[in-house]
Amino acid sequence: MKRVMQTLVVLAVGGAMVAMLVVGLGLYNVSARAGHLPGVRWLLHTTYQQSVRLRAPAPEKVPEDIAHPDRVALGALHFKTSCAFCHALPGQAQSATAQAMEPPPPHISQAVSDWAPEELFWIVKEGVKMTGMPHWPTPDHEDEIWSVVAYLTTLPDRQSQIALAGEGRDRAGCAQCHGEDGNSRNSYIPRLDLLTPGQIAEALRQYRDGRRTSGIMQEAASLLTDSQIAMVAQKFGSTKAPQEQSAPAPQAPSAGARLAQHGTGDVPACTACHGPARRADAPIAPLLSGQSQAYLETQLKLWRAGHRGGGERANLMRKAAQDLQDADIKALAEWFASLPPS
Amino acid sequence: MRLIPSVTLLRSTALLTGLSLLSACEGRQSVLNPAGRDAQDVLGLIWVMFGGAALLWFLLGAIFAYVTRVEPREMPRRWGEALIIGGGVIFPVILLGALLAYSLPMMAPQRAAEEGLKVHITAEQWWWRVAYELPDGRRIVSANELRLPVGRRTGLVLNAHKVIHAFWVPALGGKVDMIPGRETYLSFQPEEPGVYRGQCAEFCGASHALMAFETVVMTPEDYAAWLEAEAADAQKPASAEAYRGAEVFAREGCGACHTVRGTSAAGQVGPDLTHVGSRKSLGAGILQMTQDDLSRFVAHTEAIKPEVAMPSYDHLTLKDLRALAAYLKGLT
Repeated sequence: MKRVMQTLVVLAVGGAMVAMLVVGLGLYNVSARAGHLPGVRWLLHTTYQQSVRLRAPAPEKVPEDIAHPDRVALGALHFKTSCAFCHALPGQAQSATAQAMEPPPPHISQAVSDWAPEELFWIVKEGVKMTGMPHWPTPDHEDEIWSVVAYLTTLPDRQSQIALAGEGRDRAGCAQCHGEDGNSRNSYIPRLDLLTPGQIAEALRQYRDGRRTSGIMQEAASLLTDSQIAMVAQKFGSTKAPQEQSAPAPQAPSAGARLAQHGTGDVPACTACHGPARRADAPIAPLLSGQSQAYLETQLKLWRAGHRGGGERANLMRKAAQDLQDADIKALAEWFASLPPS
Repeated sequence: MRLIPSVTLLRSTALLTGLSLLSACEGRQSVLNPAGRDAQDVLGLIWVMFGGAALLWFLLGAIFAYVTRVEPREMPRRWGEALIIGGGVIFPVILLGALLAYSLPMMAPQRAAEEGLKVHITAEQWWWRVAYELPDGRRIVSANELRLPVGRRTGLVLNAHKVIHAFWVPALGGKVDMIPGRETYLSFQPEEPGVYRGQCAEFCGASHALMAFETVVMTPEDYAAWLEAEAADAQKPASAEAYRGAEVFAREGCGACHTVRGTSAAGQVGPDLTHVGSRKSLGAGILQMTQDDLSRFVAHTEAIKPEVAMPSYDHLTLKDLRALAAYLKGLT
């Protein structure tokens, strides 16, 4: 017995010394060119697949509007900006650099076929360790991740994917999502032509400095300088002279109209700050008439959850939204989106 | 050096403590200082109950002292049974029965029907929504202060928004729970003009202790004049600073939560501010109605009243805050 114990101790000490030598003297080759030792690739890949399947959300978590064309378009444009460098766009070849990664990132046309939407969601949200796959920059914006998934699940309809993302290899510019005139014409993307240049500049600074989170906009704003921000804000912001906004035309009041204009015992009246019928010259808050509906819904949910960053008045809006129900949010977004822009 | 305080010292300390407790009961939030019919009834009940309890305590104590100290001998069985059954059962039942019979009929008058005026009071977190219902059906909305005419019975219809509170003005009457979704009723007949303090008397969250209000009892003539003024729309700002304050009020969206009748502000979340400047206190009985306190309250609401729904407006400049306070102070 004693002899067995002695042998085990000697083996353990010897093993630890060998391991220290391998690590300390750099004996293990980490070269991507050399690739993995036999069996290791299989081990890692199987671990990865099983891990994703265990952790992905339930299929019921997939949003109902996953196939909405505007949502797919938003996902396509972000994919082009942030993902296409490694995974390429449909119909394009992967760059030589991307192909030289270890493990090589799968081409878009093969990357998604093995996975259910909720599994793709988990991979995009969490990323994959020891590969080049990053996690989504913020944990608070699951709606954006679903938009990317929305695009990925349009496969195998390659033609429409190509059409959505455009042919070129460049990152999408501001105008590709928000429109040349600041009007995105996409329910999921905010209209910038309804904001003042000051509001746009403030939002971009917040995204850049991490005071407001968004996987899409933080990526877009991360490299902007102050002077570029000022330029962008001038280009897309509303240039109209300050004016008195007109009250909405009388119509059969919807639930959203009532809530927005009168509030309840728990919910402040939105229109006191966000118009319409509010002077636009010194706005403390964006005017919302005509703003994109799905965008408004997402933002209200972020406010309610306490995840929407913002400026010095952010606390006002966080408190204003905390008692909203899902149905209220839907009704409010519908009403504001239906109003004619000022 | 003596470490143990003398008996005399202990006695005088106890006496002083007792006196200071008594003195704390004097004044405008005290059942011992009644200013209305109902509070007088309550005080009478307190003294009768106290007397009955004292009688019971002394008599049972005397019997106990007699059998253990004065005559600690074995006594005949019949005597012993008479003492135990008579002193321990029959006497307390008679006394407690009499007290119960005396007190039960006092409940109904505390809820007697009103003579003309009804006030609806809804407890919010942590303030009071008040609406005066006149005999002609008109409703005048106010907040955080109760005004009553002297010599006339006013009905109080009590309710609560989210959690249970309790309504209590010790100098004017009894205490009643305020329960969400259920109306409770109480009526007051004040008899001395004056200002009496009320306080939420049921723990209702972080700022429960900061939920008070003033009750102003007025002569009928003063009351009628006040009610007329309260029913009117808000006054226009009277100074340049107040005018600027009105602009800040509109710009910052205060009207999303607060109503100022006669302006576009028609929010329902917070207290009605139409005549806020005429109230005796600010923030539901916790601050003075002064320009200083107004601007401090608006800037640091969440620090002064923890977990309240109103956000702090600490992003406003001092100049804007002072102007806003001047405007609110002028809403008399």
